[in-house]
Amino acid sequence: MNEPMDREQLLDLVAAYALGTLPAAESSHVAAFILTDADARREYDELRATANLVGLSAEEPVDSARAARMKERLMATVRSDASSPRRAPSSATRTSAMWGTTLAAAAAVVFALVSVIQNFSLRSDLHEAQQRVATLQTRILADGRTVARDRRMLTDLTASDAKRYTVAYGTVVTRGEHVYLALGSLPALAPGKVYQAWTLARGAKAVAPSVTFTPSQSGLTLVPIPDNAGSLAAVAVSVEPQGGSRAPTTKPAFVQPLS
Amino acid sequence: MEDGARLMERVRARDVEAFEQLYDGYHRLVFGIALRVASDAALAEDVTQAIFLKLWSAPETFREGNFSGWLSRVTRNRALDVVRSRANRPTGEIPADVAAEASTDGTVFARIDAQRVRSALSALSEEQRAPIEMGFFAGITHEEIAQRTGIPLGTIKTRIRTGLRRMREMLTEAVSR
Repeated sequence: MNEPMDREQLLDLVAAYALGTLPAAESSHVAAFILTDADARREYDELRATANLVGLSAEEPVDSARAARMKERLMATVRSDASSPRRAPSSATRTSAMWGTTLAAAAAVVFALVSVIQNFSLRSDLHEAQQRVATLQTRILADGRTVARDRRMLTDLTASDAKRYTVAYGTVVTRGEHVYLALGSLPALAPGKVYQAWTLARGAKAVAPSVTFTPSQSGLTLVPIPDNAGSLAAVAVSVEPQGGSRAPTTKPAFVQPLS
Repeated sequence: MEDGARLMERVRARDVEAFEQLYDGYHRLVFGIALRVASDAALAEDVTQAIFLKLWSAPETFREGNFSGWLSRVTRNRALDVVRSRANRPTGEIPADVAAEASTDGTVFARIDAQRVRSALSALSEEQRAPIEMGFFAGITHEEIAQRTGIPLGTIKTRIRTGLRRMREMLTEAVSR
């Protein structure tokens, strides 16, 4: 089993995060560290600004023909857009439109192909290929959702308009409808035990069980709470048996009202 | 030429002349980074077009701070996205980069130019410079850097940090002269 990271090792990860070399799986722990540690935040800000400048070393002359061609195309687009009363569609819209056209064309091609394929083995091959494509698309969508969720969490945690409540072992962060527990240095758990979050809905008299979690190897843990922040009056954390409990069985590590 | 941040203010007001100045001042940087990342001039040209069109169509994405540093990061990320999409690399392997589109860095390095950055990088030891450049331009994780170089992961992490700190010291010294 790996040893918990010491402070210097965590600061090494902050530098990797600033450069952009930190694997996605580790980024939430580092974000929690940055959030809960002022020195780490300063280190991140300084090294991020420095890392951004690395790109300047790649600046180089562009051959004049290429530079002129690029500029001509670009300025034609920009001048045309500037003279238009409407703003140009966003790149996302343009991309969507392009995809729409591409997909329509692709659908037409597929339809034409299917209509002429009479050979059974070819249809079978096509069916297998379609299944593989569907499987890959499912994986890509799942990966995309994971990345989008991580990015949303990190954006929420570092946003200037997020509300932060200092609690034992860390911070409770709310932003919009999202709630997170960013906890550091949580005590190690006895075998068979987990930490469990509890939520108290506005107007409710008793807490409801929420997610269970165990501290990461670094001792830092980022826990998204699935409830809507606006519906909650408080959150709490306690130690519970593996699998969680229906009601707290130990004294909470903290109870934090949400304003 | 006005600095990038001021030109972007004018671009927000749809000032075509300011945009042209922006292109003249920064296309070498954008193209250079894209070329370094993609190793393909045609692809770098596409990335350059896309970046400048984005500056025109969504100038609010730059808020404040060091424009060169922000543009450098945005270009790097865009070029890496293009390269990865061509290689069908799963997005789950991409290091998360929350501040990729944000402008959180300060203005302390606003007067830093390419030559000063090259000087600072070349003043680092090869051991420090290589993982920083690989991380920035190849967009790979520190684990992949360790695998490619055969250097222990912990050593790579430490070299990235000490290298960036040393680089910061040198650049800070350069702008304070």
